[in-house]
Amino acid sequence: MLDTTSIEERLKDTVAEFVVDWGLDADISRDTTLVGDLEFDSIDVIQLIVEIEKAFGNRKLGFQDLIMADGRYVDDLSVGQISDFLSEKLL
Amino acid sequence: MTKTMLIGLDGATYTVLQPLLDGSCEEGVVMPYLASLIEGGYSGTLKSTNHPLTPPAWTTVCTGVTPGAHGVYDFVRFEDMGHDVYFTLYDARDMRVETFWETVSRHDKSVVSLNFPMMAPPPEVNGSLVPGFVSWKHLRRNMHPKSLFARIDKIDGFDPKELSWDFERESLIGEIMEDQDLYDWVENHLPRDRQWTNIAKHLLAEDSPDVFALMLDGVDKIQHQAWHFLDPKIWTKERAASASDIAKGVRRLVLQYFAEVDEYLRTLIETAGPDTRTIIVSDHGFTGAYKVVRINTYLGELGHLTWKEDDGSEAAKRRQMANFAYLDWDNTQAFCPTPSSNGIVIRQQSEKCPNGVPPSEYEAFREQLIADLLKLEDPQTGEKVIQAVLKREDAFPGVAMDQSPDLTLILSDHGFVSVRNRAPSVVERPVPMGTHHPDGIFIMHGPGVAQVSDKTLQIQDTTAIMAHSMGLDIPRNYEGKVPADLYTAAHIATHPITKGRPSVSRDTFGHGDDMDDTQKAEMLAQLKALGYLED
Repeated sequence: MLDTTSIEERLKDTVAEFVVDWGLDADISRDTTLVGDLEFDSIDVIQLIVEIEKAFGNRKLGFQDLIMADGRYVDDLSVGQISDFLSEKLL
Repeated sequence: MTKTMLIGLDGATYTVLQPLLDGSCEEGVVMPYLASLIEGGYSGTLKSTNHPLTPPAWTTVCTGVTPGAHGVYDFVRFEDMGHDVYFTLYDARDMRVETFWETVSRHDKSVVSLNFPMMAPPPEVNGSLVPGFVSWKHLRRNMHPKSLFARIDKIDGFDPKELSWDFERESLIGEIMEDQDLYDWVENHLPRDRQWTNIAKHLLAEDSPDVFALMLDGVDKIQHQAWHFLDPKIWTKERAASASDIAKGVRRLVLQYFAEVDEYLRTLIETAGPDTRTIIVSDHGFTGAYKVVRINTYLGELGHLTWKEDDGSEAAKRRQMANFAYLDWDNTQAFCPTPSSNGIVIRQQSEKCPNGVPPSEYEAFREQLIADLLKLEDPQTGEKVIQAVLKREDAFPGVAMDQSPDLTLILSDHGFVSVRNRAPSVVERPVPMGTHHPDGIFIMHGPGVAQVSDKTLQIQDTTAIMAHSMGLDIPRNYEGKVPADLYTAAHIATHPITKGRPSVSRDTFGHGDDMDDTQKAEMLAQLKALGYLED
């Protein structure tokens, strides 16, 4: 049964697995940011969305609601923001 | 024991290969091993898919059906949302039918499949699969099985960064390069095919899969950029004699690449052993493109589309430079979505697209558009620049036809169109650029294969031939066939061609979305790295 804690843990595991080959020295926490801390580019964001969707039931989760804010593409996202978004969508 | 081996040479063409095979170029015979395979086996021209492009063509090889049935038409796909059009990448989840690798797995045969596009996320197969066109950052996660990366990582010399797709480097295809820059660009490509071959050799020797398949894409990449160093009509003895030292260096380097490919073939075939049948195919051929055709500029002149206004922002500049159409969608009835598509999409009137073409007028609109497209000419020479316009029902019949462009263009020089907002609509290229041609190569060698040359096959025949070579029934839905003269009479008498259950159709991953218009416009601006050919 999913709850906010298990969603966040599964997300952290997914992100950690996602960047494991990248040579980064980063512990994944709520405050970890994709661009600032993990050096994502736009292709990486697309790939991460695929991985998250696979991790949470292999279905579309409407990530555009998170990636866009006030009509603009957000400059960066934190793991906490993604986790909160997933909780809102899944619970 | 490996009975069947497929080696894909992306974009290989006899136009380039023939002088390297028969030694008629000044360097003499560059590919003696491939020449010996042709001499002792079955060879001919392999006709590509109706739009000869890497994703639809290799997907046909990997599924046995043409794009109208498998549903992959381009690198980039789009969804028309009415006020906007959302562009994203095709991937394995968009395929409407299982791969050949999955089919043979269901028959308890083992597989190794390396570097084919549209194989990520990877299908589950009985064996090993590494997809192509994936950045090193995402390589390990997209291998099957999950443990494969750790295994490959132990192979001496393995370097995932050299092996995998470099989006930044490939986005330079189509740019005009000085010879020194071109030399460096080509040189940076050589290690990748060495890496793939090294992995291939190990997996082939260690696993002896029932079917082994490897695709080498350096041929395509190098021909795109260095066509003027490879086309015998351009790189003549006179040209060679007057070339600068660095130009001669580029020529030496590109021929070195082809010589290395010849050694890769020898290594893999010798590793597989004499009982293996080897099939060497390209996804399409190659030729030179001499003109830039800005097709959306022309559609704008015809009154079918309106360009997006430039608000001067950085986001708008990035978007204008991206390789997909940037338009005022409320005032667009027909457009070309991407350069690689060479397609024209006609937007029909609907609730979400009120300014589209009324369905009752679609046929007349399409006929007029075809006539107008065929009129497009180079103002300098008066030459027609579009040789044919294919309707979707003719080019891509099948269950996925609705996802194809309404019209597909074949340019007179086989080039790819430009979708950027520049004028005029037709200009001469300063340097001929390598582009795709429908005529690729087919070469087969091994036990039972007849000694025949100069045949013509269809690309979808490849998969039927693989199935038969493995002793399997050819799935009934496969669109290709085994040529009657492919094998000796004695071999075919003991290995009859049989048909059986169709390969499995599958549901595609849901791609619908509910972004609002502004969100989609901003999303498009971020998809800037998905470039292919541009002027």
